[in-house]
Amino acid sequence: MEQYDVLVVGSGGAGQRAALEAARRDGLRVALITKIFPTRSATAMAQGGVNAALNNVAKEDSTEVHTFDTVKGSDYLGDQDAIEFFCQRCPEGVLEMDFMGTPFSRTDEGKIAQRNFGGQSYPRTCYSADKTGHVILHTTYEQCLKEGVHFLQEWYLLDIVVKDGKAGGAIIWNMKKGKVEIIKAKSIVLSTGGAGRVFWTRTTNPFLSTGDGMAVAFRAGVGLKDMEMIQFHPTGLGKTGILMSEAVRGEGGYLLNVEGERFMKKYAPNKMELASRDVVAKAIEDEIAAGRGFNGTGLDAYVVADLRHLGPEVIIEKLHGIRDLALCFEHCDPLTDPVPIRPTCHYIMGGIDVVDYKTCATEIPGIFASGEASCISIHGANRLGGNSLADGVVFGKVSGAGAADYAQASTFADCDAELQAKAEEWEAKFVEVTSRTSGRPVAEIRDELAVAMWNKVGIFRNEAGITEALEVIERLTKEYETCYVGDSNRTYNMAFVNYVEIKSMLTVAKAIALGALNRKESRGAHVREEFPKRDDSQYLKHTIWKLGANGEYEMSERDVVFTKYEPQERKY
Amino acid sequence: MRQITYHIHRFNEGRAYVQSYTFDYEADRTILWGLQKIKDTLDPTLTFVAACRSAVCGACSVKVNGQAMLGCEAKIDEITERFGSDEITVAPIGNFDVIRDLVVDWEAKVSRLKEVAPWIFVKPEFTTKTGTRQTAADFKKFVMNTECILCGCCASECNKLSANREDFLDPYVYTKANRFVMDSRDVSPMAHTTPAFNHGLWKCVHCMNCITRCPKHLKPEKDISNLRRVATEAGLSNKGTRHAIAFKQDLLKTGRLNEVTMSLKTDGLLDSAKQGLYALRLWKHGKINPFELVVPHKPVNGIEGVRTIGRAVEEAGK
Amino acid sequence: MKYGFFPGCVLEGASKEDYLATVAVAKKLGIEIQELDGWTCCGASHVQDIDPLLTLSTNARNIALAEKEGLDILTVCNTCTLMLREAKKELDEHEVTRQKVNNILGEAGMNYKGTSEVTHFLWVLIREYGLDNLKAKVTRPLTGLRVAEYYGCHILRPEEEMGFEDMQIPTSLADLITALGATPIDFSRKLDCCGFHAVYPAHDSVMQMTGSINADAQKEGADCVVTPCPLCQMQLDMFQKEAKATVPMNGDMPIIHMSQLIGLALGCTPAEMGMTDRHLASTASLNRFL
Repeated sequence: MEQYDVLVVGSGGAGQRAALEAARRDGLRVALITKIFPTRSATAMAQGGVNAALNNVAKEDSTEVHTFDTVKGSDYLGDQDAIEFFCQRCPEGVLEMDFMGTPFSRTDEGKIAQRNFGGQSYPRTCYSADKTGHVILHTTYEQCLKEGVHFLQEWYLLDIVVKDGKAGGAIIWNMKKGKVEIIKAKSIVLSTGGAGRVFWTRTTNPFLSTGDGMAVAFRAGVGLKDMEMIQFHPTGLGKTGILMSEAVRGEGGYLLNVEGERFMKKYAPNKMELASRDVVAKAIEDEIAAGRGFNGTGLDAYVVADLRHLGPEVIIEKLHGIRDLALCFEHCDPLTDPVPIRPTCHYIMGGIDVVDYKTCATEIPGIFASGEASCISIHGANRLGGNSLADGVVFGKVSGAGAADYAQASTFADCDAELQAKAEEWEAKFVEVTSRTSGRPVAEIRDELAVAMWNKVGIFRNEAGITEALEVIERLTKEYETCYVGDSNRTYNMAFVNYVEIKSMLTVAKAIALGALNRKESRGAHVREEFPKRDDSQYLKHTIWKLGANGEYEMSERDVVFTKYEPQERKY
Repeated sequence: MRQITYHIHRFNEGRAYVQSYTFDYEADRTILWGLQKIKDTLDPTLTFVAACRSAVCGACSVKVNGQAMLGCEAKIDEITERFGSDEITVAPIGNFDVIRDLVVDWEAKVSRLKEVAPWIFVKPEFTTKTGTRQTAADFKKFVMNTECILCGCCASECNKLSANREDFLDPYVYTKANRFVMDSRDVSPMAHTTPAFNHGLWKCVHCMNCITRCPKHLKPEKDISNLRRVATEAGLSNKGTRHAIAFKQDLLKTGRLNEVTMSLKTDGLLDSAKQGLYALRLWKHGKINPFELVVPHKPVNGIEGVRTIGRAVEEAGK
Repeated sequence: MKYGFFPGCVLEGASKEDYLATVAVAKKLGIEIQELDGWTCCGASHVQDIDPLLTLSTNARNIALAEKEGLDILTVCNTCTLMLREAKKELDEHEVTRQKVNNILGEAGMNYKGTSEVTHFLWVLIREYGLDNLKAKVTRPLTGLRVAEYYGCHILRPEEEMGFEDMQIPTSLADLITALGATPIDFSRKLDCCGFHAVYPAHDSVMQMTGSINADAQKEGADCVVTPCPLCQMQLDMFQKEAKATVPMNGDMPIIHMSQLIGLALGCTPAEMGMTDRHLASTASLNRFL
């Protein structure tokens, strides 16, 4: 049994920023666990940029405008006090990254360059060519190495133990050794990322994004909030779903249907391609459904992003990573050919219910959450591009500070027996599930879940479909109880890790479907075909799902926090 | 039906063996797709790691037919065409300890990375409140190096590491060091250069495998070269430095190298004397001519022009 | 067929045998090689470490010497080829650099234009001369001679500068060996580095590398190792005895340059190519194939 004051779970931008913050406190023992080498996280995949009203390019910009853009982008489901707090801290967060060595692209004055991004009033998105997430992640890693953050890598979170209503510690699978480990901790920060893999291949997310932290928090008694709010990025590559950055639109690329028409003029006549992500994603799907896409109307259909008019200089200088992706994964060169694109699941706005944005605390003392795993909620029903890296940078730090403050003011829970019991339970489970010789293979359950989620709880949703998806989830959850893992080795048993991940995905998928079923309106990324309008009279509130005493999902609601922005219809 | 066979170098709990898997061919698929297909449908015990599947995270590097590459980027179509076979060998990347099958131990590499202080020593005029300033031109000087994704491909076939890992760092470590040396915002290039110098900087054999393996088209060998220049200009000297300086001196003196004085300048008189017997053998076989010590080479035609160029280069450097 | 010959420093000293062999072979094949007057050291993969601009400028001068004669440059050394091609690529692709270097050359009354190519003898034989034509000139097929095809590094890597053939599955040496009637021996270390460029600072590792190559060639039953590079040849030959202490092996493994191998097949005597006295690892065992 190891003992740390602060345990951070997850090595993405938020997790490492949290660990860095906590590690800078004197006298605190801090560890960060991650199921893979720290720089492999989803943050590395973020291309376009990080938002902060630095006014390096647009003098008129301000944190107030950033706040309004974010509120509006969230389709008024974001908590306005949290959003204000967030936008005010973005400049500081970005400048700190710059100070720590992040290589940002530069303006003529040598300041951080900023570009246009969807849904924003001014060029506000700070960037490093088209690999902003990668450089931010590597910078945080460098700084964590400098500060001597204790990484326990290839340590995979299994469960959190709560004693007397507060965090006690974590049960962890040591992947390299193939054994259950116990870490006793005063505070635990869950920065475990998203859950896009519930759609398996139709997502931009890495294989890692399986909702582990959300599922663990849920089992520990923390709520999952606004889980139906899932962003579909409008410009995934046609064949693979791999992300092509918003920079494609930001730098002036056109979206064309099979007739060669810039169809966004019908959906967002002013902003055109720069309308917010949900508007663009819906427009593409509408075009495809109306037969104006390429390659039919099925799952293989697509529209194209045309960059040719931008010229080789812009494409090679500013979008060369995107060009590489298109060349490598789509076999086409943006210099000479339009690139096939189609929406793809990109981000989950919902997540672990954070009840105090100033500390990233959850309802259970000692459990904190940040990054995509969390729902604070600043993204509401739709996240603006460039706000997720900013979220990681800002709330990563906040959660690290919150967890450190809490740890400094509290004592270890007296829960050795509970930790031991839980560890033994997992050890027994490992032996039992890996020694099974029959059952449905884990991969089959994963694939069937993905098909049901994409078809029934994807971009367009309706009651009948969601209900069917829930039935599939119930059946798969039963099949999971006897599923076939197929590898009983101890060392680096990825089959066992995948087995636990599927459980996380089933857990999260159910919350997503229940949330989607409950919200009988269309708001932001959530589109109910029977209820095409936003319904502010009933749904200006968060829905929270918690694990009930009998194992059922129990719903509660919380009003959205308003400060000064009254709901308006969103037009771009 | 066309089929693809992977011969996978497996390793588990002390046992190393090759296992072959055959599956149906599909167009436009990657090496990683094949691994996932095997794990999903043929053998759940096959172990590998992958994350982004879009060549930005560096997790899935493997050796394909002897050459390190990212599994998510390597196309089955291209590999089979290039090597003229539907049988593909997949092995863990080299110069890493293997944990299981295709999974290698990165944790052991972190302490090596830390040696060169892979973080910025930011200039004192910058603060967390103001951030930093940098011209677009200065940004361009090092930004390429920040594209390193720590995939390990450059280390996999590094001949120096294969010969001895202890006294040499992985190529990406030098790339990381040079990233900070070249960053105009870093106040202390020597904080990165000196540890690199002390840990193998001059031991690179220029085999160029790092350059050919990097999926991001970085050039670790060039980074090593630049660090050597910086170290030399700062007065750090060892056999490698002296050897290079001797070449330069010969180039400007006669235009061509003098093999006899080369050894003296590199090894010093004592070491050279120790190699006296060896030198005698070389002399016997006509490999060296000790008389060149007293009667140096005749300078090449146009040596004055070469020296003029040397002076102009020095001027240009000022 | 005429080239501006760039022998490189070692062909004047330690590897005079390769100079003799190359000149003899070129004559027999009717390839005119005119040594560039006033050529200087290519930097040998060393000078660029301490003075990249000097290396670039002097190699620009070397290439300009060939331009003045209206000839492409022919080399017989992997490293010379790489250094010169690297300089040429840099100068041809970057206008600003070219101007800067031409300003420097201008001081010495010279100018780089980019009109001469840089190539290696091996490539010329395959792409320009033709192996069939070479085969037709063979007077003494080396039947039964088992030749380990050792490429070394710089004739293949970096691919961006070299790019004559696939760096992972090259065939040029095997094709050449076959054309001469000998049997190419593929061995696992044929693409490995001999270690030459770090023999002083990384002595122990280099002995490991050198020894492994020689021992592996022997294990595969090779009668000799052939290389397109005098530096590899020197390394594998001159340090062979010493390397045996690190990687044991029986007897001598003859290490010969491709020019020497061609010379043998074209009827040159070992003596006229320096093979009787200038090799540390005896090549006498090859005489039975002549």
